Amino acid sequence: MAIRRIVPWSSGIVFRSLAAVALITLLLGGISSIFIRDQITARGHEEALQRLSELLDTVESTASVATFANDEQLASEVAQGLLRNSEVQRVIISAGNTELARAERSPQPDTTQPSNAPPVQRSLLSPFKKGDVIGSIRLEANWDAISSRVVANSRQAILTLLGQLLLVIGGTAGMVFLVVVRPIKATSDRLHRLDPTNAGALEIPEGHAGTEIGRLVSDINGLTGRLVNTLNQERELRRQQEIGQRKYQDLFDHASSGIFVTDTEGCLASFNRAFVELTRLVHVATEQPRKLTEPGWDDHTQLLDLLRRSADQQISCEDDFLLCGRQGDERWLHVAIMPLGDGSMQGTVTDVTARKREEILARRLVITDSLTGFANREGLIQHYAMLNSVSDLPFTTVMIDLDGFKQINDAKGFPVGDMVLMEVSRRIRRATHPSDFLSRIGGDEFVLIFNGISERGAAATRIEALHANLCEPYELNHESVSMGASIGIAFFPQDGANMSQLLRSAELALNSVRESSRSASLPGYRFFAPQLQAAVEHQRRLEDDLRHAVHNGELRLAFQPIIDLHTGGLAGAEVLLRWPHAVRGLISPEVFIPLAERVGLISEIGRQVLEEACRQVAEWRRDGLNMYVSVNVSVSQIPDELSPDAILDVLQRFSLPAEAIVIEITEGVLMGDIGAAQRWIEQLRAAGLRIYLDDFGTGYSSLSYLKRFPMDTVKIDKSFVIDMNADNSDHTLVNTIITMAGSLGLKVVAEGIEDANQLALLRKMGCGYGQGFFISHPVAAADFVATAARINATQANTASNS
Amino acid sequence: MKAIHTLLLILLILLIPTPGWPATTEDWVLIANPKAGIGRLTQDEVTNIFLGRYRRLASGVTAEPLDQPADSALRARFYRQLVDKSLAEINAYWARLVFSGKTRPPGVASSSEDAMQRVSLHPETLAYIEKSRVDARVVVVFEIVE
Repeated sequence: MAIRRIVPWSSGIVFRSLAAVALITLLLGGISSIFIRDQITARGHEEALQRLSELLDTVESTASVATFANDEQLASEVAQGLLRNSEVQRVIISAGNTELARAERSPQPDTTQPSNAPPVQRSLLSPFKKGDVIGSIRLEANWDAISSRVVANSRQAILTLLGQLLLVIGGTAGMVFLVVVRPIKATSDRLHRLDPTNAGALEIPEGHAGTEIGRLVSDINGLTGRLVNTLNQERELRRQQEIGQRKYQDLFDHASSGIFVTDTEGCLASFNRAFVELTRLVHVATEQPRKLTEPGWDDHTQLLDLLRRSADQQISCEDDFLLCGRQGDERWLHVAIMPLGDGSMQGTVTDVTARKREEILARRLVITDSLTGFANREGLIQHYAMLNSVSDLPFTTVMIDLDGFKQINDAKGFPVGDMVLMEVSRRIRRATHPSDFLSRIGGDEFVLIFNGISERGAAATRIEALHANLCEPYELNHESVSMGASIGIAFFPQDGANMSQLLRSAELALNSVRESSRSASLPGYRFFAPQLQAAVEHQRRLEDDLRHAVHNGELRLAFQPIIDLHTGGLAGAEVLLRWPHAVRGLISPEVFIPLAERVGLISEIGRQVLEEACRQVAEWRRDGLNMYVSVNVSVSQIPDELSPDAILDVLQRFSLPAEAIVIEITEGVLMGDIGAAQRWIEQLRAAGLRIYLDDFGTGYSSLSYLKRFPMDTVKIDKSFVIDMNADNSDHTLVNTIITMAGSLGLKVVAEGIEDANQLALLRKMGCGYGQGFFISHPVAAADFVATAARINATQANTASNS
Repeated sequence: MKAIHTLLLILLILLIPTPGWPATTEDWVLIANPKAGIGRLTQDEVTNIFLGRYRRLASGVTAEPLDQPADSALRARFYRQLVDKSLAEINAYWARLVFSGKTRPPGVASSSEDAMQRVSLHPETLAYIEKSRVDARVVVVFEIVE
């Protein structure tokens, strides 16, 4: 509250203004009265002289007459007359040198005649002759009289002035008091008592609504209103700020995260208890600001880098930092730094040790093979992700594939397989150096990196030992198991600039080992060679060509007639596939069918073949040939790629009876998913189609298959037929097959009949049907009708001969 | 007062005949008694004598001026030619001296003949008459030379 002050009357505005008015007025009045007195005095003297001069004018002619006539009486008369004027002290009229008349009043004792005041003297001229000076009249002023008059005049003027001034002072003071001072004083007193916080307002003094005072009062009211508003807002703001600050202080103090404020150099401005606990900041009794680098960071320069980056780019930055501890009590702290905008930075610290450990563990798990403890494929790739063929040391990549592991795994189960793999890993470990990098990248695929070895001789020595070691029998549950190993080798950097290239190279080498190991007893390992790459390239191009050929319908069908050996007449034809390659000539189905199976073209090819074969046989049957066509179906087409419904659909479209089509399958079909294959066969046979078992005798040729899968016919492989003579075992074998088939109620087709002898033997053995070059080579569809006619004609001859 | 004077002056100027006119009044001469022993007088001396400045000449001879009658044309002509004043002015002059002073105006002759008579009888007398009337009884002591 304002302190109430009593304004003493002497310092009040009333007294001051009135005193000022009075003082100024009196001062000015004093100055001007002096000025007026001087002026009046000067003018009084001047006027007196003027009056005397005028007085002389009136008597001049009379005086000149008196002087001319030397008439003392007249002159005296004139002088006495002049003396009657109170301002005249003395009059002397002279004619030449003689004084004609003289008149004067008795002099005052205290005469104060101004010495510089000259008498008034006038020359007297002759009335009758111009320019003739005949005397003079001299008049001396009575300065006492003049002065007293002047003094009286000036006194009166000053008194008048003083009276006027007093009136002006009184009037001005009164008006000032009434019009200005009183309302101001009233306003001032009210303002003094005013308490704006209680919504008090000043009244505008009466009659001052339009004056400056009125405006002043309303301005003050407006100002106090705004002031009160602002004060209220300020008070509310401060209250909220205090609440907020208290809240944040609580948060700051009790937060589980460490919070700190620092400058860009890492000098801490403030930090909370959690920060101390998390960073294990040691308490030091010092006035110096604590440093962010003081805790035992593993590498505090990174932390300062983070701080600087955040400050420079004005962005929030965060990272994890390792805090070293005693006895291995390491701690991972997550530090997030945010610029506050005033050059300081705010940071939070949270303990992420648990998460970090899990991450490390998870990362290790991701790159580790849990069974063997070797790295897995991911670990291998990661470990060699940053290979540089110029600066990195050379090394050898060794890829190992266990031969026969799958069979062991299948036959004895996964636990046994795992035991084998663990034994393999133990042997690998024993045969390698600690500096070598070991990994298992697939089920039974291992990749080893021999660091520092870049030369075939050294690599071969070690790999031979390893290979021999791996090929030793494995003792499993008191049972000895033998297993081979194929090894492919690639060198860094010449065989690949990065790990994936190296793995591909090693795999190519490995594949070539696998392919060749079947036929010859070569070493179980092979180095990568560019030719392998070329072979792969060739294969790949062939794949492209095949894909192209299939899509453009470049594959051609050939038909090899099958005859009834009893009648010699045409029974049907086996559909064979031909690929006339534009560059490489005719490519054998033995080459391109496995290729098609590998690249997933087989089902498309199968559909095309079936479609074309049906179209063709429908045409021939309309032409009067009572025949069928047999279509080869590969393992991969069964059961879904070429479903029974799809086959029947094609038959229906060409209006073919079921006996017009025969499906040839191999024993491979019967070795996969037995149930599915069985259902597939049964479905087709139920629809009336016949199923032939192709290449009988080359595979397992288990009789149990023939029992379990209901077939119609078996085809004796041509290798038996070609070597068939009257006295060798093949003869017996063929005979046995024919007899056995007959006993099972199966018909027999003999393939590969190349001469009349074979034909005769087979006929004698009771083989029902046959095909081969002796009867006919496979022919194109266009030539088939002629071929059929030739066969039937031959049959007619044979029939007529026999 | 002054206005009336001025008016009178204008009237007088209008009334006064110009010198080119045929003279109605003759030229005058100042005469004295031959026995008085007065020689030739100057115009100033004549003026001083006739206007009362002094009545005694430098030679010690007393001179008593004598005017023509107040309404005579000669008198007006005399004062006009002597001091270039009208008779009214001359009369006003004398009025002031006569009223408050001791100096007396000249005596007045009833006619020129009377003036001749008095000059011849009183040697100290000076008078002006028509030039044509001058005879042996008097001597001319002053005349205006045109």
